[in-house]
Amino acid sequence: MALLYGLLWRLLLVLVHLHRTLVSWLRLRLRSWKGRLWERAVAALLLPVALLGFPDHQKKLNQNRDSNPSPVTGNRAASRRSQWLSDGQALEKLPVHIGLLVAEEEPSYTDIANLVVWCMAVGISYVSVYDNYGIIRKNNSRLLEEIVRQQQDLLGVDGSKYNVEFLSNGNDKHQHHVLSCRPVVKVLSPEDGKQSIVQAAQQLCRSVENKERTFKDISVSMLDTLLRESKNIPDPELVVKFGPIDSTLGFLPWHIRLTEFISLPSHIDVSYEDMLGALQQYASCQQRLGK
Amino acid sequence: MSWIRESELSLLQKIAANILKAGPMPKHVAFIMDGNRRFARKKNVERQEGHMQGFNKLAETLCWCQHLNIREVTVYAFSIENFKRAKAEVDGLMELAKQKFTRLLEERDNLEKHSVCIRVLGDLTMLPLDLQQLIAKAVFETRTHNKCFLNVCFAYTSRHEITNAVREMAWGVEQGLIKSSDVSEALLSKCLYSNNSPNPDLLIRTSGEVRLSDFLLWQTSHSCLVFQSVLWPEYSFWNLCEAILQYQFNYRSIQKARDLHREEQELQQLEADRACVAEVLQHHGNGKPADAQRRQEALLHYTACREERVQDFLEALKHKRDSFFTDLASQAVAR
Repeated sequence: MALLYGLLWRLLLVLVHLHRTLVSWLRLRLRSWKGRLWERAVAALLLPVALLGFPDHQKKLNQNRDSNPSPVTGNRAASRRSQWLSDGQALEKLPVHIGLLVAEEEPSYTDIANLVVWCMAVGISYVSVYDNYGIIRKNNSRLLEEIVRQQQDLLGVDGSKYNVEFLSNGNDKHQHHVLSCRPVVKVLSPEDGKQSIVQAAQQLCRSVENKERTFKDISVSMLDTLLRESKNIPDPELVVKFGPIDSTLGFLPWHIRLTEFISLPSHIDVSYEDMLGALQQYASCQQRLGK
Repeated sequence: MSWIRESELSLLQKIAANILKAGPMPKHVAFIMDGNRRFARKKNVERQEGHMQGFNKLAETLCWCQHLNIREVTVYAFSIENFKRAKAEVDGLMELAKQKFTRLLEERDNLEKHSVCIRVLGDLTMLPLDLQQLIAKAVFETRTHNKCFLNVCFAYTSRHEITNAVREMAWGVEQGLIKSSDVSEALLSKCLYSNNSPNPDLLIRTSGEVRLSDFLLWQTSHSCLVFQSVLWPEYSFWNLCEAILQYQFNYRSIQKARDLHREEQELQQLEADRACVAEVLQHHGNGKPADAQRRQEALLHYTACREERVQDFLEALKHKRDSFFTDLASQAVAR
């Protein structure tokens, strides 16, 4: 009997895997198909486990495309830039700080760079990039190169307005007094999560040890100030997670108390439409803040 | 209505449960029971009725968890942020809580029979005194039960919990029980309200919202997060099965991430100990660098001392917390 249940369980898992693969495959296919019938069929299939309300967004996206035709004259990069900016402005709300959580084994720097450039072009001021192996952080410079390259490719040579302020981590806290209104990119790793909280706790305990304060002085706002390297960078309002793992994998535990989580299947070959879909889903969510 | 249901699963549910149990099952599940007010609006009833239905659903869900061998459940009943709601609603929720905890105490035989341990996590001093006393009594009377555990987060937010843990460690430092260099991820975890529980394997949030709302942020860093669109009072056994299936689908990759994190934690602890030992040796070394053997011996000795210090501190902390509940519980009896 146990054997039978075991087999049935394995079968069930295979079915779930097939369902997920089918869903991702159909999303790719649907990018080129606009047929009503397809949309309804897909909607029916996706209903149980759909994460993005996909057909609605595709419809909205197509409407947007039709109502804002790219100018016939002018170069492609400039028209892309204005299209993306207007896409951002069309959204009811846009996150000030977005987190890109790469929950996949091999990060693709080109795709991540694309995502960063799109986020900034749409009007998001702060972009944090995270993977739980810390690989991206180890290859900081490679990501920066890719971002610069993609900026040129996608936004044209005149992308200087979008010059990225690349924040490195660790001891360079002075860099964080951001005076310009340029978009900021930060690469994070698990050390920035629980370990930062522990370091802040150690700092507070040391000050208690040195009789600079008593334990009763320690408050939520005190800890929050310590964990916020720069007053200007708000908590991420939105985290877009790429990959099949349904977990935050240690991403900034303190900062994500009110963060919305939206999942996309993968960051490999991710498209602008996918990203915009996630932003549209964010724009439609309602935050009651406990009330 | 009762906290403990003793209903059996239907045949189909039993079969589904057995299939799921062939795979890895979560031992600790956390629920954000969201959607009571939307449910009330949908059914055109009072908000209070929505919350009542929500409570009934909780009792039912606990019963399902029992059948699925899920021995520990943590629920988010009332956030510190919820105090911002209209006074009438907050008072209503406090009244509901008082009723439920009174009812819980009336069912103590049943609780003993099923060996259910109730714990309440949060800053209880923010609640009305009579509710605090009821809660303390419930916690006190079930403290030795050990077959299943229900943790209710009441007057809780994760940031408050983490800050409180830091405050407790600072208290330990002020008392001279531990040093600031003893502060570590593991120690912080042991100072949280949830220190007696393992981290949740699975976190489920209902009603379609996709955020954590300041719930168990530290403890769920490597948990499987499942967001379901069903409203809490309409939660079904099949919704629970769906969530567990998703957990099973994620099991291997999350385990891998957890193992990686644990290894890194151990490495960090070792490095921290080494740094402390190096400092100590420098002080006593007369400028001569110590040889490898001496360093190793010093490291082992330092680690042993640190662990002993930490143990004593945690004992003192436990005593402090137990006294809080015992004192409140005895006040409740004296009334």
